[in-house]
Amino acid sequence: MKIDHVTWSILQEALAVYRDSPRAFGWLRSHVERFTEPVRVAVAGQPGIGKSTLANALIGESFAPAPTFSWYRNGSAAHAQVFSGGRFAEAPVVRRGGRMAVDAGSWDTVDRVVVDWPSRSLRDFVLIDTPASAAPEQIFADADAVVYLMRHLKDDDLQFLRSAHDHPIARVAAVNTIGVLARADEIGGGRIDALSSAKQIARRYRRDVQVQPLCQNVVACAGLIAVAARTMREDEFQALRALAALGREELEDHLLSADRFVGTAFPLDLDPAVRQGLLERFGLFGVRLCCALVRQGFDTTVKLTGQLVQRSGLGELRDSIAIHLVERREVLKARSALLALDVVLRMEPRPGARKLMADLERAVASAHDFRELRLVAALQGGRTKLPPELETEAMRLVGAEGTTSLARLGFDYDATPAEQRSVLLDALARWQAQATDPHLGGDHRRAAQIVVRSCEGLLTGLI
Amino acid sequence: MAPPWLDVLDETIGACATHRRPDLEARLREKRAQQVDPKLRVLVIGESKQGKSQLVNALINAPVCAVGDDITTTVPTFVQHSETPSAALVRNASSRRSIMNAPTERVAVPIEQVTKQVSAIHSGELVRAEIGIPRALLTSGLVLIDTPGIGDTRSANTASTFATVLQADAVLMVSDATGELTSAELALLKKVMAACPNVTVVITKTDLCPQWRTVVERNRSHLARAGIPAKLLPVSATLRLRAAKTGDQVLNTESGFPDLLACLQRDIVASADLLARRAVSVVASSVISQLVTPLREELTTHDSSHTAATISTLQEAQRRVDELRRRSARWQNVLNDEMADLVSDVEYDLRDRTRKILREVDKTFDEADPAQGWEQFEQWLEDNLNDAATTNFAWLMERAEWVAEKVARNFPVYREDILPGSILPDDVLDPVGKLDKPKIEPFTITQKVFTGLRGSYGGVLMFGLVTSLAGMPLINVISLGAGALFGGKTIKDESDARLKRRQAAAKAAAQRHVDDFFIKFSKDCRDAGRYIQRSLRNHFASLAEEMQETLLESARSAKRAVQDDASQRDQRQREARRELDKLVTLYKRVQALGGGAAMELSA
Ligand SMILES: Nc1nc2c(ncn2[C@@H]2O[C@H](COP(=O)(O)OP(=O)(O)OP(=O)(O)O)[C@@H](O)[C@H]2O)c(=O)[nH]1
Ligand SMILES: Nc1nc2c(ncn2[C@@H]2O[C@H](COP(=O)(O)OP(=O)(O)OP(=O)(O)O)[C@@H](O)[C@H]2O)c(=O)[nH]1
Ligand SMILES: [Mg+2]
Ligand SMILES: [Mg+2]
Repeated sequence: MKIDHVTWSILQEALAVYRDSPRAFGWLRSHVERFTEPVRVAVAGQPGIGKSTLANALIGESFAPAPTFSWYRNGSAAHAQVFSGGRFAEAPVVRRGGRMAVDAGSWDTVDRVVVDWPSRSLRDFVLIDTPASAAPEQIFADADAVVYLMRHLKDDDLQFLRSAHDHPIARVAAVNTIGVLARADEIGGGRIDALSSAKQIARRYRRDVQVQPLCQNVVACAGLIAVAARTMREDEFQALRALAALGREELEDHLLSADRFVGTAFPLDLDPAVRQGLLERFGLFGVRLCCALVRQGFDTTVKLTGQLVQRSGLGELRDSIAIHLVERREVLKARSALLALDVVLRMEPRPGARKLMADLERAVASAHDFRELRLVAALQGGRTKLPPELETEAMRLVGAEGTTSLARLGFDYDATPAEQRSVLLDALARWQAQATDPHLGGDHRRAAQIVVRSCEGLLTGLI
Repeated sequence: MAPPWLDVLDETIGACATHRRPDLEARLREKRAQQVDPKLRVLVIGESKQGKSQLVNALINAPVCAVGDDITTTVPTFVQHSETPSAALVRNASSRRSIMNAPTERVAVPIEQVTKQVSAIHSGELVRAEIGIPRALLTSGLVLIDTPGIGDTRSANTASTFATVLQADAVLMVSDATGELTSAELALLKKVMAACPNVTVVITKTDLCPQWRTVVERNRSHLARAGIPAKLLPVSATLRLRAAKTGDQVLNTESGFPDLLACLQRDIVASADLLARRAVSVVASSVISQLVTPLREELTTHDSSHTAATISTLQEAQRRVDELRRRSARWQNVLNDEMADLVSDVEYDLRDRTRKILREVDKTFDEADPAQGWEQFEQWLEDNLNDAATTNFAWLMERAEWVAEKVARNFPVYREDILPGSILPDDVLDPVGKLDKPKIEPFTITQKVFTGLRGSYGGVLMFGLVTSLAGMPLINVISLGAGALFGGKTIKDESDARLKRRQAAAKAAAQRHVDDFFIKFSKDCRDAGRYIQRSLRNHFASLAEEMQETLLESARSAKRAVQDDASQRDQRQREARRELDKLVTLYKRVQALGGGAAMELSA
């Protein structure tokens, strides 16, 4: 059985066992509910690194930063709820000076703001922007997965990433973190090739032995440019186009520094306030990049936005969230629910819960889904190496390209069960041989064992 | 124009020649060479990728330090003045690594290739790069030292940087304008301030950041709040380098570098003069005292004007020379024996202290759950090891001083400066700089003798503690969070077996850490012992030579006195009087240099 089914049934059983304990019952009910919701992705990182900015980029709207946990979820109309110490109130979402803001009213301590916002980007996940003061334990308790922002990896970052897996269950299911090399535009001191340089550094971290076991992926992203691109106004575009129309040489001296860009003696009749605005929204690097792109022919808002989103790394980050987090919703939800069950069983142990405890331990120990995910990550990160053709097949069989039997077996049409079975048996035999070949390395054989187990799982589905 | 201390020094050298003391003259000439060409070490430190290397390049307008987008600098680069551009890599000659005195080898490389070679050679064996380049800025003896980033999880780098901080005359702490000073940076600043108070915080990359003025303002208040009295200067290396290329003065001003250079000039180069004056004052005083002794002897002899007394003076001088030779063997034995005892006692003491700590750890984790309060425990352990190390090292220092005194007691004669001014060579860490660095504040003799050593010890200590207990899966953030949401209080944990396992893991981790600490620290103590021994031996040996020379000179003048007839004797006596007065005047000037209250030199 799949881990999400197993987890679901343990949850239901636990509800029955803890019927008479209001605290445990309430807790379990909330987790039953959470189980069916979209994945909750928290954006975390050191203070001021650009969490709110990146969250805005992912949403596609600029929200004024609030010093509290902000939850963004898809809704039919813009609307918010403000929570404070067990109470909550409805609150309007208003546009204020070009940004959206939640009117939190008169409460001075707000624990959490939940914003419903109609956005296609939020269709598949709930985004949680964490404040500078957020305690890691609260982030891990609220979220199913984490997008972690860092510059160059420092000790503090490693500590945070490690603590995310610092639990017997979490360790087994170390599948919920994406690292982001943030502020990619500032890498290289804002040189025009900053973003591609940042991408290379991200690639290095992806393979770094310290990072690899802790992150499903590491991508570089310039949140500032991404959010500016996705919310670009016509007047901004016109100003950028006017700038680009100046010769490169003519503009160069005025793009040397932020101070110069807003200084007097500008070669173009562009209000200093407009220039200041561009600088705030795009950053100096962003302005340079936009000018270069417009000159290269990306000379409509749509074209320019598309380029910026791609180059800023937002595209890659979104893909990564889709592949590693959204597609693995079941596993991530099961992970959160198992952690929650573990808490109940330990905080309120009782004789009737002994079977639950055993079930839970068995589920965690035998969760093949977790192993598949870790193998995918290890192969992608190059930590486990297989010959190229085997690697492609292994990835497919353990579900990296989709978890249906057709996707796993590599059919691009509706093959009959008999057809599938014959391909599958072939694969199974091949991988069984790999799994037991004493000449192969330990990593190789362990990987093969996981593939074999996936094939066996498929076989039961096809009989 | 020559600084006043140079005139005084040259006159003292002249006096040595007049009084036929080539030994003292040589000593002063050496000092003169050092002081005329002092090394002022300005250390550039900061977290990774803040623009440290580019800052050094921009200061001297030459691309001598490797600059890159990913982590780049792995060993320090020393940049100093030379008539022609040159570069060299310094590598470990053997694999044995020690902070104190690892043998190294120096390989010259073409200056255009140095940045490439630094990144090519794999860190372990490379110790540092050295650049010589003709620059007006550097002619005052400034040495700019670019260092690897701190806090990038490669603690070995961090440790060696710390060790260098303790040798620095000034520190430029680099933090870029893309963000405010973090709590880690502020903590670092505090640590650095304790070792070298002359710190300037340089905010880089102002060209890139529209809000750099806000960042600077907020940084100022962070510093004020943390009680760190460091100056703060915003700069842009990019603008500076471009200004240099295009010769654009306005842009150069915008880069903020003129202010930074002025600050270096004012706070560092200027204070060097004070340091030089003090250093010169100390040696010149000692030398003059020695010149005075035979003169005084001659005068007293003349005063008594008894030939018999003169002859007995002569005999006395001869006797003392012989005695000096005979007793050389004795003080050397005392030194060897005492130092051997010292080293083993100090090691025993350290072992005893660490054992006590481990016993305490075991007792704690027999009961307590490491998952709770692990951070406090880490702090506790660090504090206790710190204590142990400090006490142990202080004891080593005390004992070493006691040994120095005992050797002095076994020395045939007593003299004002019989105890060494410093038991370390001017520069423990590397032979680049030669600046003898008396601290500006007055200090007691104990501090003075051992300041240099204590400095390197600080680096050792920080190094010992950088290897932290990281990697202990004990603080269970996830359980804590969920537990808090569930019950509003922290979670009570699990089965006994798990607790036991965790306790065992905690004890083992602590044991490993303490062992590690012991090995590193005791090795450095042993090295320190060897160093002290060698320095004391050199000190007393050259003292013995000088004394012998002084005694012989006294004997010679006594002999002359006996041989001279009355009129010659009067003549000589007048001369001696005059010479003595001259020396006393010179001595006063020397004392005035140091700025201290003039010590009386009885005429
Ligand atoms: N150049 C550049 N600046 C950025 C980027 N992302 C954020 N910033 C700037 O960094 C500052 C802080 O950004 P925020 O998004 O508020 O950072 P945060 O992590 O949410 O901050 P806290 O919530 O206070 O911890 C703002 O001035 C942003 O404009 C980026 O990708 N590039
Ligand atoms: N725009 C701008 N970029 C700078 C400035 N100073 C440095 N940079 C850039 O920042 C990046 C890092 O510079 P480095 O000098 O290598 O930084 P570092 O602190 O020495 O780095 P590590 O030694 O690796 O820790 C490089 O890409 C530089 O081009 C500056 O003043 N302005
Ligand atoms: Mg924020
Ligand atoms: Mg560097």
